[in-house]
Amino acid sequence: MGLLEKQFEENVLTTKVDWLLNWCRLSSIWPMTFGLACCAIEMMAVGCAHHDIDRFGAGAFRASPRQADLMIVAGTVNFKMAERIKRLYDQMPSPKYAIAMGACATGGGPYYKYGYTVVKGVDRVIPVDVYIAGCPPRPEALLEGLMKLQEKIQASSVIRKPLRTA
Amino acid sequence: MSTTDTYEPSIAQSKGELLDSGEREYMLDVRTQDMEVNMGPQHPATHGVMRVLIRCDGELVTGAQPHLGYLHRCAEKIGENVEWLQYLPYTDRYDYLAAMNNNLGYSMAVEALMGIEIPRRAMMLRTICAELNRIGSHLIAIGTYGLDIGAITPFLYMFREREWMMALFEKICGARLTYSYIRIGGVFNDAPPGWLSEVEAFCDTFEVKWKEYYDLLMQNHIFVQRTANIGVISREMALDFGLTGPMLRGSNIDWDLRRDTPYELYDEIWKDKAFEIPLASGEKGTLGDTWDRAWVRVMEMMESIKIVRWCLDKVEPGPIIAEIPKTLRIPPGEAYVGIENPRGELGHYVVSDGGKIAVRCRVRGPSFANLAVLEELMPGTLLADAIAIIGSTDIVVGETDR
Amino acid sequence: MDFQVIYDRIRSIKAPGVIGCDEPREPNPEDKKDKGRFGDSFVLVEPERLPEFLECVRDDALLKFELMADLSATDPSKDDENLWINVQLLSLTHKHRLAVKCFLPKANPVMPTSAPVHRGAQWAERECGEMYGITFEGHPDPRNILLPEDWIGAPMRKDYEYPEEYHGISCK
Repeated sequence: MGLLEKQFEENVLTTKVDWLLNWCRLSSIWPMTFGLACCAIEMMAVGCAHHDIDRFGAGAFRASPRQADLMIVAGTVNFKMAERIKRLYDQMPSPKYAIAMGACATGGGPYYKYGYTVVKGVDRVIPVDVYIAGCPPRPEALLEGLMKLQEKIQASSVIRKPLRTA
Repeated sequence: MSTTDTYEPSIAQSKGELLDSGEREYMLDVRTQDMEVNMGPQHPATHGVMRVLIRCDGELVTGAQPHLGYLHRCAEKIGENVEWLQYLPYTDRYDYLAAMNNNLGYSMAVEALMGIEIPRRAMMLRTICAELNRIGSHLIAIGTYGLDIGAITPFLYMFREREWMMALFEKICGARLTYSYIRIGGVFNDAPPGWLSEVEAFCDTFEVKWKEYYDLLMQNHIFVQRTANIGVISREMALDFGLTGPMLRGSNIDWDLRRDTPYELYDEIWKDKAFEIPLASGEKGTLGDTWDRAWVRVMEMMESIKIVRWCLDKVEPGPIIAEIPKTLRIPPGEAYVGIENPRGELGHYVVSDGGKIAVRCRVRGPSFANLAVLEELMPGTLLADAIAIIGSTDIVVGETDR
Repeated sequence: MDFQVIYDRIRSIKAPGVIGCDEPREPNPEDKKDKGRFGDSFVLVEPERLPEFLECVRDDALLKFELMADLSATDPSKDDENLWINVQLLSLTHKHRLAVKCFLPKANPVMPTSAPVHRGAQWAERECGEMYGITFEGHPDPRNILLPEDWIGAPMRKDYEYPEEYHGISCK
């Protein structure tokens, strides 16, 4: 957030405000429905009753990027799709996070060598916070990635450098 | 794509009718421009990344143009660069909801060139896995179709069954979604002890739950109202577009590759009259509408259970893979094998020149042909019905784009 | 119907453009280099007459190939001067299949479109055209379908070079 960046020293008041703001943020991360390929099916499985993502507060999948905090890029990214991903990411309001789910979003996946239209990792297009390996990763792996993101949000602070600028 | 360049409303008033309340109703003739709505690559109701450019006059759709290519992963180019067995994981990933069937199609095309015989136990396991995966794929088809229409509960119920099915597959091959289980020559892993009785338990429970889905979704008055009488595909249209699978059977065209060009064990299963081919009959509206296609998919799940039970009765211990060398060199030639995917005819056309790597590995994805029919079906419907039509084609964008 | 029976019928109704047929054969024991040819039999047709051939076999009562399952192309090797066009036909009434092949010279990859005969060929030809650089004359909508609109090159050819970058995103 960086509202009070470098204006004060860290003191008791700001750490408590930090803790409260971060707890509010990490307990209600609303993802955007952005399933591209096979990983999307595992993302749908995470959303359903067996591996419930709603218990992490992240169960409200929003269709519009303007109402979402988190973009879980689940699936292979194409050149044709990359421009749309950039546009969607820009439409999300700050603070926003991105998870690269699966081998394709992390580094091109099995299409790395001979895929001529495949972008070798979605981090060539948008800044990514958490990478999840797997092809497709198990739903538990996605939940662990979400928990890692929550730890990352916990570590951010009001007076330190912001986690993500627009 | 706009119909008018200059906007000149012409207002003509006609003599209005006298209503009961004493008011007079006037008819105004106002010309408006058609609006172009982009149902973009990221949308909750397209089944994956597909873009449909809709031109609509208010709520009425006057033109639709699907745009593909947002998931083009160059599978065919990869087929020309990797060895025969290394290509198998890529086959899982085009129709990721029915991965076993994709593996089966590719393996059968390569085996047709090799001319080898598959051991019986391998064929039994292949059939069980392919039919279970057909059930899984139809579960998602119906579940997400309900989700598009607005019925969220069946979606959660379907995933409950699907979790059980994926647990079964995880026991036999280790993966939940992209299995690479059915290999060239047979299957690679034998069923662990107790697996077959677990499959039987799944069949028993599923029959009870199936009745639940049928009553909850298919007979639901709102679902019927939303899906009947729209998206009607006639016989001529179906044959012209090259549609296959439930798209054909939903218009009462009697064609199923498992019965008509039988492969693996299906000719034996058909002779024993173990399964039937459900054909829609226009029960809730016009023949060939979207309700009929959804109905065909729901009934096919029951038929798959019957096939699985037949296999469980007749399976016997034995070898699970044919004797093939470690590095495969397929004899030169070309072969096309089409199998019945949950979506239609999945065809693999394989060309070999005798080496380790294929010359051509063409995949005929049923969703690619099924999607072309949208250009004809969508104009003339309301925007909400257009969503229902897209859902009824049951496309998987991994297969349209490969 | 067997392939030989189908081929005899095609010959007897004088379907346009038929050059011949090719059936699988066993390897020649005298020639060590000949490994034979396995797999399917197909009918060879001239590319310029392909739409007329498809219409003829669709309308004939004994053949009745109403459904076109697939239309695709193959680049056999860098040295070969021809592209192969492969059409898979299916008959619902008689339950048989037919494979049709055309040799299209790489120097001039132009052929008429089969879209008026089978509507399903429209999208298949779009894909074929963009992947191999083939022009289908008379096609109502010859845009790129799977690749981006400004993609350069025909990716499925054997002599295709992978691009370095596209719109600022590196391909390495």
